[in-house]
Amino acid sequence: MTELLGIEEKTYTLNLGPQHPSTHGVLRVILEMDGEFIIKAEPVIGYGHRGHEHMAENRNYTQFLPNLARVDYLHALAYNQCYCMAVEKFLDLKVPERAEYIRVITCELNRITSHLLWFGAYLMDLGAFTPFLYCFDDREHLLDLLDGLTGSRLTYCFFRFGGVPIDIDDDFVAGCRAFVSRLRSRWDDYNNLVTKNVIFINRTRDVGIITRDQCIKYGITGPILRGSGIPYDIRKSEAYSAYPEFDFEIPIGSKGDIYDRYIVRLAEMEQSCRIIEQACNQLPDGPIMAEKVPKRIKPPVGEVYQAVETARGSFGMYIVSQGDVKPYRIKLRTPSFANMSFFPEMAVDNLVADLVANLGSIDVVIPEIDR
Amino acid sequence: MLKDNLTKALAPLNLEKVAEGDYAKTGYHLEVAALPAQLPDVAQAMLAADCFLESFTAVDLNEAFDLVYHFASFDELCRTAVHVPLGKKKGMPTISHIYPGADWYEREVFDLFGIHFFNHPNLKRLLLPEDADFHPLLKDFGASQGND
Repeated sequence: MTELLGIEEKTYTLNLGPQHPSTHGVLRVILEMDGEFIIKAEPVIGYGHRGHEHMAENRNYTQFLPNLARVDYLHALAYNQCYCMAVEKFLDLKVPERAEYIRVITCELNRITSHLLWFGAYLMDLGAFTPFLYCFDDREHLLDLLDGLTGSRLTYCFFRFGGVPIDIDDDFVAGCRAFVSRLRSRWDDYNNLVTKNVIFINRTRDVGIITRDQCIKYGITGPILRGSGIPYDIRKSEAYSAYPEFDFEIPIGSKGDIYDRYIVRLAEMEQSCRIIEQACNQLPDGPIMAEKVPKRIKPPVGEVYQAVETARGSFGMYIVSQGDVKPYRIKLRTPSFANMSFFPEMAVDNLVADLVANLGSIDVVIPEIDR
Repeated sequence: MLKDNLTKALAPLNLEKVAEGDYAKTGYHLEVAALPAQLPDVAQAMLAADCFLESFTAVDLNEAFDLVYHFASFDELCRTAVHVPLGKKKGMPTISHIYPGADWYEREVFDLFGIHFFNHPNLKRLLLPEDADFHPLLKDFGASQGND
């Protein structure tokens, strides 16, 4: 191994993963260590590569829809939405307003489930077990709510080209409201348990700092980017779907360390609550599917790039059509791929104990990197 | 405006095409076509304008490849698509020294399409096993002829 990496002999190699609880999936990192310090880190990815992009090329547009939820299983609805929007752009379909609202509400609920899972799993990485139980309790209520509407707990395939297949009823809206007030009543617990916890602060303050320059060079997006003080959120910058109709803020950090990323994610959950609340209040009546959605999806020759903001950052779909019923090429630009490519630089010169703190703060979903 | 600044910055490079895109239809504000050798200069101009590399991939057009770079900016909504035609069995200059984030993208394209990137620091397979002897996103890859 040392000859392979071309490194002097007084260092040693430490292998992390592929099976390791803090890698949140199947990720291997080859570490070159000098005592407790990391001098080189090389992530080895691809253990979860299923060839989604290849699958896209040999099935039709509708058949590819369920694949998206399996790319990022924690924020599946945003991936649904991105694909639907890309195809709608191709076909020039106008999605009814009510459907856009339903998309926004479910997407934001899904974003909260993702952030809650990160919250629990990340603190468990750092050795704190109790917060995990708190946030999974909250998350379970959300999963039940989404399960009742979509029929699945995690890998949602809920949106359709031109709208949504099932309308939401008063019970669902009441469930959303109840959840929002429940989550808000929990912030004090969260803050007292974790945000103000001196052990947590000492482990995360000034650790894993990411600068604006690094974000540009690596294409880092999502809460990591915003933790570094750059207010870039595709929900605002591209103002897709019904997002321009809601009043919400983009939380940002100041230093760009792990603690800032934590604060940003916590604040984002509150902003999602605000969006859900407004959407429930302003929910318009009307149809939930566009008129004249073709039975056979056959986009014209051309290409489309569509981006959405997922819980981990900018997810983009690049679709090339040659006028066939099957896509000619689909590229999935996943946020964790770009975020993870920065990891070697982030890990180097740090203690091995901070490696897990750094890795967890990226909030990686490995199947999304591997596709 | 960033779009105009980019158009100005790209003008001295004598690119094949620098045109305004139709954002509502394609999601692009600027569409660019460049030759392989011009790409490092394009990337340099993009970096100087504080754009980030949003995505990079290839499309197998049977007789040639079409490499597609997407650049976007954190400050202003402006997405640039750079198309680079590349003949089969031809290599491509790397931009990983300009955008370190391109390192993995180029490795992925090498892995899935078999396109070689000159001067890449670590050009080896990324997603597939190291001993794989195929490039699955090529159109003549066997499994593509699956059933409908």
